[in-house]
Amino acid sequence: MESSFHTLHEFMLFTESVTYIIIVAALLGILAFWRFLDGSDRKNDLGMDEGEE
Amino acid sequence: MSEETTAIKKIFPPGRSLYTPFNVVIGAILIMGVILSILRFTGGLATVTNLDNNYPWGLWIGFDLMAGVALAAGGYTTSAAVYIFGLKRYHSAVRPAILTGFLGYALVVVSLTYDVGRPWRLPFPFLVQQGTTSLLFEVAACVGLYLTVLFLESTPAALEWLGLKKLRNIVTKLTLALTIFGVVLSTLHQSSLGALFLIAPGKLHPLWYSGYIPVYFFVSSIFAGLSMVIFEGNLSHKYFKDKMDETHLKEHDDVTLGFAKGASFVMAGYVIIKIIGISVANQWALLFTPYGIWFLVELLGFVALPCFLYAIGVRDRNLKLIRRTCIIAVIGVALNRLNVCLIAFNWYLPLSERYFPHIGEIGLTIFMVTVGILVFRFIVTRMPVLYEHPEYESH
Repeated sequence: MESSFHTLHEFMLFTESVTYIIIVAALLGILAFWRFLDGSDRKNDLGMDEGEE
Repeated sequence: MSEETTAIKKIFPPGRSLYTPFNVVIGAILIMGVILSILRFTGGLATVTNLDNNYPWGLWIGFDLMAGVALAAGGYTTSAAVYIFGLKRYHSAVRPAILTGFLGYALVVVSLTYDVGRPWRLPFPFLVQQGTTSLLFEVAACVGLYLTVLFLESTPAALEWLGLKKLRNIVTKLTLALTIFGVVLSTLHQSSLGALFLIAPGKLHPLWYSGYIPVYFFVSSIFAGLSMVIFEGNLSHKYFKDKMDETHLKEHDDVTLGFAKGASFVMAGYVIIKIIGISVANQWALLFTPYGIWFLVELLGFVALPCFLYAIGVRDRNLKLIRRTCIIAVIGVALNRLNVCLIAFNWYLPLSERYFPHIGEIGLTIFMVTVGILVFRFIVTRMPVLYEHPEYESH
């Protein structure tokens, strides 16, 4: 893979492009992950509060 | 030594035999530790270590210091959560977390006296030559200051135990300032410990070496600290349940779930920034080498997997799963520090020239961990760490 780059520009263009795609995917993924983590917890908290009272 | 004997007598009432399997093992470890310490300080480093010019940093730095500092991060993460972010429902976790942090850092400093060739020169960075351009100076200054902060933060329990009300009230008034100072110092030195490796790009394997290594060290310290608080909380819950008051017992599950949630989210972020690190340096091809597979074992098996398991545990309120997961997470952080310091360091050297810890290094590491556990037990069985002192319950 490294041998396919002839200039620093080519290398930067490739790595930056891939990184930006990963960052966008990661931002969307981390949002989804947070909803996965928090969503059910919120419901449980409400349920637990009612139970405690 | 006589104090330790008295402590053991107090923990185990006279009616109970001192010769329990636990005590025998602990006693053997302590004797071994004392012998190894004598060998280290009379015969020098070569007597009990395999350190050489290729590996001036061995197990004591890789595990006792690097992993020790990361795992002691529970102090600043918990106090920041409670006093800065206002998550008062985790208040019961603060004292044990700070105590664990303080003991962790204290043992780091003790380990350093073993590891440094001329330990009497440890105060030199402050007294003789500041060397302010050195990262080691920053680490030394931060660890020294943060140890002081942790000491001050952990004194209220001792002062309540001793009945020194006035002094205790003065120290508790400093709580917020100490917490902020502690977070600043931790941010600095947790990252600086990683930054130390920026000087060795040729020695550290490219998958572990990155310009972002200080960020990796800092972020991983957050979930290391959170996982360690869960781990320590579970052990305390198991072995010192009789020392816990209603609040501690009631908040325990909440602390476990809340910290697991935090750790899971931070771990997800850590996995992302590690992948970005690989992408920026275009090191995808290295993932298919033996070191790459080991890297994936560390990242997927000891970070992504516990991240996922924590998430499942939080969603299903499965405390058993979280308790097991925190062990994987703690091992994962220790493995990461060992990888950076030892396994992926000088990775190009032939096997015959690679470092493997001397039995003396392993023995003294076990000794340090044992001393930490004993001191922790000594304190929590006497001082109001797992319960609130009846005279100070308003705090």
